[in-house]
Amino acid sequence: MTATTQTPSAPTPSPVLTFLKRPLVVALILIAALLLLGEALSPGFASGQQILRLLIVAALLGIVAAGQNLVILGGREGIDLSVGGVISLSAIIAGNVMNGADSAILPAVIVCMAAGALIGLFNGLGVTLLRIPPLVMTLGMLGVLQGLLVVVRNGIPSGLAAPGLSRFVTQPLLLGLPGIIWLWVAIGLLMAFMLTRTVYGHRIYAIGSNEQAAHMAGVPVRRMRVSLFMLSGVFASITGICLIGYSGSSFANVGEQYMLASIIAVVFGGTPLSGGKGGYTGTMAGAVLLVILQGILTTVHIDESGRQMVFGATLLLLMLFYGRGRAMRG
Amino acid sequence: MSKIELRGVSKAYGATLALRRGDLSIDAGEVHVLIGSNGSGKSTLCKVLAGSVRPDGGEILIDGKPVTITGPRSARDHGIGIFYQELSLAGHRTVAENICLPDLPATAAGFVDRAALETRAARYIALFDTVSGDGFSADTTVENLRADQRQLVEIMKALATEAPVLIFDEPTSALDRAQVDRFFEILRDLKKQGRSIIFISHRMDEIFAIGDRVTVIRDGETVGTEKISDTNPAAVIRMMVGGQDELAAASSAPPAVAASGRPIALALNGLSGKNFANVSFEVAKGEILGFGGLHGQGQSAVLRAIFGVNPVASGEIMLNGTPFQARNPRDAIRRGCAYVSGDRGRDGVISGRPILENVTPIHYLRQKLKLASPSALAERVKPALEALHTKFGGLSHPINSLSGGNQQKIVIARWLIDRPDVLLLDDPTKGIDLSAKADLFSLIRKLAAEGMGIVLYSSEDAELLNNADRILVFNGGQVRRELTGADRTRYNLYQAAYEAA
Repeated sequence: MTATTQTPSAPTPSPVLTFLKRPLVVALILIAALLLLGEALSPGFASGQQILRLLIVAALLGIVAAGQNLVILGGREGIDLSVGGVISLSAIIAGNVMNGADSAILPAVIVCMAAGALIGLFNGLGVTLLRIPPLVMTLGMLGVLQGLLVVVRNGIPSGLAAPGLSRFVTQPLLLGLPGIIWLWVAIGLLMAFMLTRTVYGHRIYAIGSNEQAAHMAGVPVRRMRVSLFMLSGVFASITGICLIGYSGSSFANVGEQYMLASIIAVVFGGTPLSGGKGGYTGTMAGAVLLVILQGILTTVHIDESGRQMVFGATLLLLMLFYGRGRAMRG
Repeated sequence: MSKIELRGVSKAYGATLALRRGDLSIDAGEVHVLIGSNGSGKSTLCKVLAGSVRPDGGEILIDGKPVTITGPRSARDHGIGIFYQELSLAGHRTVAENICLPDLPATAAGFVDRAALETRAARYIALFDTVSGDGFSADTTVENLRADQRQLVEIMKALATEAPVLIFDEPTSALDRAQVDRFFEILRDLKKQGRSIIFISHRMDEIFAIGDRVTVIRDGETVGTEKISDTNPAAVIRMMVGGQDELAAASSAPPAVAASGRPIALALNGLSGKNFANVSFEVAKGEILGFGGLHGQGQSAVLRAIFGVNPVASGEIMLNGTPFQARNPRDAIRRGCAYVSGDRGRDGVISGRPILENVTPIHYLRQKLKLASPSALAERVKPALEALHTKFGGLSHPINSLSGGNQQKIVIARWLIDRPDVLLLDDPTKGIDLSAKADLFSLIRKLAAEGMGIVLYSSEDAELLNNADRILVFNGGQVRRELTGADRTRYNLYQAAYEAA
């Protein structure tokens, strides 16, 4: 309403300021600033080798955040808290199926993705058919998966990454960048195409913006929502597979840290938790930003629990920021 | 001297003048009926009295003294109690608690005085003892009650205020005959005690059974007050219609279509569901069938049931001669059925998204598209928007940047890319400007001329009289009368709408 009632005396925002206020631009500026800060705190932080390592970690986070992004875009308080559990489960399945053999990579990938899709299916059915709020449904699923991991492996490291997978994640493949970064770029392009140029993408925004209107316009709202949770499960399982390639072997709670981080990356990238608006490009920048922040915290010797506290506070600050933004748009 | 007198009360909501000049004079010990069509301003007048709306002008006198009613609390202090049409009960609390809710008895320590509460509630529950039905007692939770029982609780709650002036806004809509009779006996007792009652009802028989005087409101102005004993239903309806009857159908409407000979686009046979029963009609290709009557008499419910939004309990629907039972809107759209809701914020607009994405969803579904190429879609979308003279900056602009009328045009344009066989319009012009309305109706008539079967429900009588070939008048969820040809007059429309259910 503010736009229509603008008085002549109100200053028109300059194009520069509008540009600088775009979430993606904000994120990129922050990324540069944090890299400089890291370099100042610990010389060598922004070296090429170090940045590459940060990008690999960012890719792991960015891939799971793609699924999180889709679920959040779909609205109705969409959120997937089970991604951490899916990552851990997927890492353990992948490690055990591969057990160090390159020939077993493909079967491992297929089994993991199927498991991720199945968990997503349960989440989606719980949310749509049983009308359980996504927060509760996926939190419950996380609990089930954590319990399952304890039963199966009792937290003991198990399984072994195939050398081919480790090379894909850590060694240069093309133009000096490892395969996982190319995979992430490909996912980024696919997501951008899907969200802007396909009917499926338009329908995601439609159900996220006004579910009732979408239903009245013939959008299969339930089926859409189930598919979003399934995609989230699949993306989380891909991160799980890559994660074992990154670390060599897996332990039970390897995925835990990704739950909060994937949500922050999405929100930071300009997709509000209320859904229906935003995109994946911003989320990719958000993932990079978080990983650099994490690197700086490690550099100044803040341990895991401290980092989690910083992450939680970051999310709350973002909500404050975007909450006000929404009020201004209304 | 009148108990309450309102003189020249006015109220505007933004640019809409809801009440131009409301005059009302209520005596002690009378039941005073207030009547007027949809949006005539009678509800606003009651809200002014009840303190939920502050008037812009005019004066209110109670017992001859000018007063200012600043809010609901102040209305209560001035001795005015109201029964709310929209149920205002606390679902999780008991009948007794709800009855005493406006003024809970407290102990010296500030706690709720249970004993006093039960005694007070019991008095009002006893009034309806014989008619309140099974499972009704002081400690039943309200959410476990039937609709009629809840309405009784609502009445008891209003009675429990013991206010000298009581306003009842459609208190009998859910009640059965015996309950209404008992309620009227109680009202007559109150009258004898010298209490004043303002009674709003759409049932002519009730008005003439209980009222002492009737005040008619039309277009925000008080037309006049008559003694019930000196008037009759036809005269009251003539007062509501005013001189507008002359501009009725014949002059401006298209000639009534002879339905015979044309293929039938949509036929309903004994359709029943929630809020409507035993509805049957046929719409020929090229015909505009109007749904009339007071608001909320089942018109919208029937349209939504055809479109698969609400379930059908029994009866059958035929679309183009084949049985049609939509499981959901998606199903209905695929079969060539279209529906435009008057509540565009809830059912139509995909807020925050570009205009393009707001026009294309039906096209996606009907053509089973997977890819959405903006340039190819733009070519389809532009003619649809031009057909309605839609004003917009660009297809990528968010729909929220448009005015209400243009937003509704966008929502309607959805249906113009892949044309449906049947178009259901559910009060489509609610809250849109006059030029948008004119654009919309010229399009609707053009679509009909091209062979589409159209059902138009409108809460504005002029829209029906000027555009519909035939009008079905709804009352209490059923079709009460069919108006064709020269019968399509405002008088006949009102008469059928206010007839006894």
